[in-house]
Amino acid sequence: MKNTIKVQRAILDITQEELAKAIGVSRQTINSIEKNRYVPSTVLALKLSKMFNQPVNVFFELTEED
Amino acid sequence: MSQQSFCEKERKNLEKLNKFQLGNQFKKIGVIIAIGSFILMIARKYFEDSEWIRPVLHGLLLIGLLIISVSKEKIEDEYVDSLRSQSYRLAFIMAIVYSLVQPLINYAVAVLFNQDDNLKGFSYFQVLFFMLIVQLLFFWQLKRMNK
Repeated sequence: MKNTIKVQRAILDITQEELAKAIGVSRQTINSIEKNRYVPSTVLALKLSKMFNQPVNVFFELTEED
Repeated sequence: MSQQSFCEKERKNLEKLNKFQLGNQFKKIGVIIAIGSFILMIARKYFEDSEWIRPVLHGLLLIGLLIISVSKEKIEDEYVDSLRSQSYRLAFIMAIVYSLVQPLINYAVAVLFNQDDNLKGFSYFQVLFFMLIVQLLFFWQLKRMNK
């Protein structure tokens, strides 16, 4: 799975730290998701969706391996 | 009580047990207990004392490490939770491998150096200590790698 959270974050002009605080996780979590090392739970994905005001599948996308 | 509600209650109890964690402030307490008992364990080699103190210190060291192990991180989210689960799995498997291999190594060394050392077991402390240390080190390493 790949994602464009970094891009979405740039649109909102917020740092990893600010995004993390807004959805109640640590900065490491956001960093790991951005680097495709961690696949977040549906709850977290929906929180991100609310934050970015976009449907989940706009910034999360399945890849060949999935 | 119907069977279904009984099952539900059981499930909820298990869930509660599964989610049990101490607060972040307990981590410091755990570190103090673990380091304190470790220093005392080293110190007692230089003093004459009674035999009963050894198991007490072993127990304290294990309790200290366990407290560190079950204390929350400053921000305990699902990601930390997944790293924690990974570290427990690794520690569990490694402790079993360790306890299977360790006696063989002891035996091999005994045979190689012609020592009259029978296949003797090792203490529960050794295995538990190994398990807790491996868990904490893996957890720490996983967190460090994903900064």
